[in-house]
Formats: sequence, C-alpha cells, structure tokens
Amino acid sequence: MTARQRVGRMAGSRGAGLVVLWLVMLITFGLWIPAAFSLQVFTSVLQFSTILALVTLGQTLVILGGGGGIDLSVGGNVSLSGLVLGFLLVHGVGVWLALAACIFAGAVLGAVNGFLVARVGMMPLIVTLGTYFAYNGLALAVTGGAPISGIPQWFNWLGATTVFDVPVHVLLVLVPAIAVMVFILSETGFGRWVYAMGTNEAGARLVGVPVQRLRFSFYVISGVLCALAGIVSTSWLLSARPDVGTNLELESLAAALLGGVSIFGGYGSLGGAILGAYFLVALRTGLQFANVNSIWQVGLVGFFLILSVLLGRLAGRR
Amino acid sequence: MQEATVSDGRFGRVMVVVARREVILVLACAAASILFATLSPYFLLGSNLVGVARNSIELLIVSLGMAFILATAGIDISVGTGMGVAAVCIGYAVQAHWPLEAVAILGPIVGIVLGCLSAVSVVYGRVPPIIATLGLYGIYQAAIFLILRGQWISGLPGTLDPIVNGRILDVPVVLLVILALYLIGYVVLRWTALGTAVLAIGGNEDAARLSGIDVIRTKFFVYGMTGLLVGIAAVLYVGRYQNVETGVGGTLALNAIVAAILGGSTVTGGRANLVGTAVGVLLVQILQNGFVLIGLPSLWEQVVIGALLIVTLVVDALIMRVRAQAVAV
Repeated sequence: MTARQRVGRMAGSRGAGLVVLWLVMLITFGLWIPAAFSLQVFTSVLQFSTILALVTLGQTLVILGGGGGIDLSVGGNVSLSGLVLGFLLVHGVGVWLALAACIFAGAVLGAVNGFLVARVGMMPLIVTLGTYFAYNGLALAVTGGAPISGIPQWFNWLGATTVFDVPVHVLLVLVPAIAVMVFILSETGFGRWVYAMGTNEAGARLVGVPVQRLRFSFYVISGVLCALAGIVSTSWLLSARPDVGTNLELESLAAALLGGVSIFGGYGSLGGAILGAYFLVALRTGLQFANVNSIWQVGLVGFFLILSVLLGRLAGRR
Repeated sequence: MQEATVSDGRFGRVMVVVARREVILVLACAAASILFATLSPYFLLGSNLVGVARNSIELLIVSLGMAFILATAGIDISVGTGMGVAAVCIGYAVQAHWPLEAVAILGPIVGIVLGCLSAVSVVYGRVPPIIATLGLYGIYQAAIFLILRGQWISGLPGTLDPIVNGRILDVPVVLLVILALYLIGYVVLRWTALGTAVLAIGGNEDAARLSGIDVIRTKFFVYGMTGLLVGIAAVLYVGRYQNVETGVGGTLALNAIVAAILGGSTVTGGRANLVGTAVGVLLVQILQNGFVLIGLPSLWEQVVIGALLIVTLVVDALIMRVRAQAVAV
C-alpha cells in the first residue's frame, strides 16, 4: 500500500474521529462562550500552537518509523536548545551564529537518543525516559531554575509580531517546516522507507532499507524541530526559560495519536498530527477563555492521550 | 533482545549473571559510600545513614511493584502521582480523625483502584502501557492540584505514628513490612505459577497465552499489586511527613524504574531480580544523599539519575553483545 492510499484510508477512519472531536469542541465553546470566536482568539491559537506543532512533527516521524519509536525527551530538548540560544544572544553573539548553534544543540541532543536507539540497540522508551530526566534536569540545573533574560528587544519580531493577524513564526518557521516534512514523507523515497520500516521492519531491512541509519536520522530531525520550537519560544518570551518544554512530551504524543498516527508505527499522517496539535491548543485556549483552572489541561491532555488510542481500537486497527 | 529466562536452557547462565549483578551493585554502593565518606564528614554519621534508609522506604516498596510490571514487559509512569492521589485521600482521612485501622486500609484500597485503572486501560483498552500510564500520570497530577487547590495538607495529627515509629522486638515496624513484602514478592516470583506466568508474559506474550496462561488475570495482578504497594507507600509517606504537598511523588516513578533496571530488570520483560532491585534503590538513595552532602545543588539530582539510567542500559547492552559473541564462538 502506498503512503497516499494510507492517507486516504486514514481520512475514512481515524481522521473522522478527530473531525468529530473538533466539531464537538467548536459547538460546545460556541454555545458556552460565543465571544471566543474572534480574530483575536484565532491569532492567539496560532501563536500558542507553533511550539507544540513543531515538536509534534518530530514526534510523529519518530513514531511512524516503528520499532517502538517514541521521543519523551522533546520537552527537555526544547528547553535546553532555547537556553543555548538565549545564553549566546545575551552574551552578544551574532544572531545567525546563535541560531545555528541552537539548531546544532537540538540536533546533538536528538543524536544522543538516535545513537543509543539505533546503534546501541536500546528501547526508545527507556532511552528517551532517561534523556527526558537528563535534559529537563540539566536545563534546571545549569540555570538554577531561573530564566535567562535580557535578550535584545529586536529579537522579538520572530516570536511576537504578526502579519495580517498571522504570527510571523507561523509563516517563517512552522509552514516551511510542515511543507518540508510533508514533502519528504509523501514525495520522496525516504518517506516510503519510513512507512515501510514502520509497517514491517524485517521486510524493509531485507529489501535494503538502511533501517539503522534512518532511525538515527528520525531522532536527529526530531531534535532539530525541538530546537526550532526553542527558537520560537525564546523569541516570543524574550527569555529562555528552563521549564518551557514542560509537558510537551505528553502533548505531542497526544496530538500525534489524536491525529490518527498508530503508536506501533507505519500508519498515520503529519496532517492529522498537526490537526491534533491544533485541537489541543484550541481546547486549552477555549478553557482559558472560560476561566477554567489551567490545571485541568494536563488532566485533559492525559485523558485525550488514552482516548485517542481507544478511538483507534474502535476504528478497528491493530 | 528477548530474554525468556523461564523457558530455555539458558536459565542457569542467566542466574549466574543475576547473582553477579547484585554483587556489582553492592560494590557500587560501597564505592559510592567510600567516595562520599572521604568527601564529606557527615556521610557516615549514624543519623545520616538512618536518614538514607528512611528516605528509601517509599521507593523500596514501589520499586518492588515496578519490578513485577517490567517483568511483564509493561511499565507504569503513573505510580508517582498515583501515590500522590492516595496520599491526598489519606491526608483528608487523617484530618477527619479516622481511626488508625481505617486509614491504614484506605491507602491500599485507593492504590488498588488506581492500579486497576492502569490494568483496565492496558488490558481491555489494549493501550500500550507507556501511553496509558503517561495519560493517567497527567490525569492524577491534575486531580491532585484540583483536590488540594494548590494548598498543602499540613499539621496532621499523629494517627499513623504507631506504624511509622512503632517497633516490634526493637525492630522498626516499617522494616518488617518491607522485608515481608519483598519476601512475599520473592516467593510469588520464584516458587508459584503466578510468578512463572509474570516472567513468561514478558518473555513472549503470545507463547504464554497459547500455553494456557491467563494473561489478563496476570496483568491485573501486577498492576493491582503495584497499586496496593503504592497505597502502602502513601500511608507511610503521610505518616512520616504528616503533610501532603502538591508535588508529592514527582520523581518516584523514574526512580523506581531506574532502581529496577539497575537491579537487572529490562523494559523488554521476562526478567526480574528483587534483591537487585532493593540494592538498586539503596544505590539511588546513597547517590542522592551523597550529592547533597558534597554540595551539589539538588537540581542536579534528575540529571544524575537520568544519566545513571542511560549508563546502566549502555553497559547492559554492551555486556549482552560481548556475551552473544562469546556464545557464538
């Protein structure tokens, strides 16, 4: 089955579930707080979504590649690479060099996961659980828990300005990232390989797919996307917070699974995952509008994480 | 990667490795102790060592359950915040002046209910354990905050003192409880059909099912049992600290997983080593205590534990590879 047929079939089954969830949410909020449907809220959802959407792209790729692929270290990676950027900017390093260093840092952090998973042959779950604590802990430890502030004001244009009510980072970072990833997954041999090894790894290996090298690259790509998220958050807040990535692993997993990606790999699309990410952020924004305690959100994300897998079962897949 | 220790002829050889593992862990504990003793005059003080032991209580109890879950190739991330939920319930019960017996039973009951929630989503929902328990982790975390409304339960009366500070023949009750739990766990794992079923499911679930093992009941047992242990840990936690804070149990799950894996468990299942797990807990606690004593900020704790986990796994993987080559030759 080709990737395209897969996407088509998904639209018929799991995608439908997410669309229903979207409708339920929109109608609920529409009746509850009609004022929520304004351009301002629309902009705010876009503003808040970029970080999660970027991370979800990487998470989805890692999961699609199968072999128990999962990246729990994304949150710590976003925090740490953001700290690298903030530190360099505060110390007067040129902006392009600082951005490059940030992306490099994200790639290295991802490569650590990739090396341990693909080369040493350890389970992704336990590797990234270890790096989850290592990265999050490192971010807190090197800063002593305090944010790095004093980043030059002008850096804010990427993260906190809009063009026709659309945040600049959506246009300059998120849309290109989605376009590149979707192109790679649906139009290139690399993308076919991802689905092939996610569906049947032994088979893919036998026909010559470089499974190890691909899997290594998934984690590096996920790391780079985390660094992009770190750039957006640093530029938006004008400070690098060591806890900015908190709960991103939970949310990105929930987004990908809500979007119809099979946790066993080989099945699902980036479009669905992005739709899942926007669902979570829209839900959160709506709840904020309705003055619901923000603590509910973690619980709701957890709930949707489990629900999304259950929905997948009902849709009749493995 | 798959190690089916119950079924194949390698059982004896694996046992040899297991034995060696405990020795390595004890040596590591000793090495860490010597290191910290030379770096800090406080480490070997009786009061500090007692503190290390007391701080290990909850982790020892929860890690026992984690070893069983890992043996079935499962995992439970929700034990930490689950203990938090149980602790909140216990805290309110103590505050309402429930009698000791009622409180002591309430904790385990709440724990078993939470454990069964994990089991239901893993068994009937067929949600992968990591996803199910990660979701429950988030739900419990929200529940704790919502119930407590961001405030601590503090200044609780000493209802639980007889358990926490009590002694039988001059041996602390808590120590007896822990020894009893590990003894029961050891007997169940090594000498009962249930223990064999736990290991067999981790080794190869399909084969276990085909050979007539009740996979559903066994999984309910491991998650329910872990819930029970989490409940017991919550009772002891509330009894010791006499307050319940919003961040209770935050790093418990990771520490339990690290301790079990240090002790010889694998996430791919089929192996469990309870003595190793207990010594693993001690090593984790010695390291945490020592790092505080030599003046490393407590924020580094997570880094150290995460790094310890990864190093252990890498060493395990390398040993496995070397041994595989040795067998091939």
